[in-house]
Amino acid sequence: MASKQKNMTPKQQNYQQLQQKHELKRPVLKNCLKAFLVGGLICAIGQAVSYFYIYFFNFTEKTAGNPTVATMVFFSMLLTGFGVYDRLGQFAGAGSAVPVTGFGNAVISAAIEHRTEGFVLGVGGNMFKLAGSVILFGVFSAFVVALIKTLLAQWGVL
Amino acid sequence: MNSMKRLMLLACILLLASCSQNQKVKDSQLALIKTTNPSPITTERNKSTNEVEEIKKDVSSFPEIYDVAVVKGKKDVLVAYKVTHMQRFRMDAIEKNLNKMLEERYPKEKFTVSSDYKIFLEVVRLNEQMKARKLSHEKAEKRLQQLIKMTEDMT
Repeated sequence: MASKQKNMTPKQQNYQQLQQKHELKRPVLKNCLKAFLVGGLICAIGQAVSYFYIYFFNFTEKTAGNPTVATMVFFSMLLTGFGVYDRLGQFAGAGSAVPVTGFGNAVISAAIEHRTEGFVLGVGGNMFKLAGSVILFGVFSAFVVALIKTLLAQWGVL
Repeated sequence: MNSMKRLMLLACILLLASCSQNQKVKDSQLALIKTTNPSPITTERNKSTNEVEEIKKDVSSFPEIYDVAVVKGKKDVLVAYKVTHMQRFRMDAIEKNLNKMLEERYPKEKFTVSSDYKIFLEVVRLNEQMKARKLSHEKAEKRLQQLIKMTEDMT
């Protein structure tokens, strides 16, 4: 960064200073609060769905996790299709992207974006453009953690 | 017009709420929110509940545990409990201690302990059905075995 500034002409540096003066400050605290509230709300809905499965179906607290995740992803996929989740994402930022609902949003928004390129090469080829990395690193980190746990169990630590 | 709609909505909500006024709420419906403290039960016919009550008392003596449900079957005893909020981080340790204490005090019994909310709920439901005499002892035993199997399920 410093070397970049050295290469600048005085005019460019002046412009840089002017730009810094007028640049709007990012409302970090406000963004954090928004993300916290919306993320918390999504998680509260997830908890309600989880209790729904526990109350009305044969799921225990341990096993209710899987159908809950599937339901939440499905909800976010529908909301993305209707254009609601995008607005939510604009408002809450990470609060809507970090929970598992963000995964559904990533899949469907990529599918919608490339719809015009055809079903196979467009939708099929680009659907996991964003979500692919989530799956890859999710599976890989799960593998690493399971490997560590297995080794620790073998050695009698756990 | 808008205020009229709001008034209509409020009237509907009040009407619906008033419909549910006189219905008796079962314990199992509120087991998540409140302490139900179900009485201990046994699925065996003509068997006194003294021992089960004793087990319940012993489990309740743990300061971290606040709501205990006990069912005794022919061979197994199922203990379901709730853990106070801040102590939920120590769930494994509590279960271990509880198991140890129960095995020391009642060496003849085979215990299954669970802090799972679903198991607690099902025990409360079983309790209610047995009290209402909707369930025979044989069926209750079968249900108990299903619940024990459920505690072992991992995925």
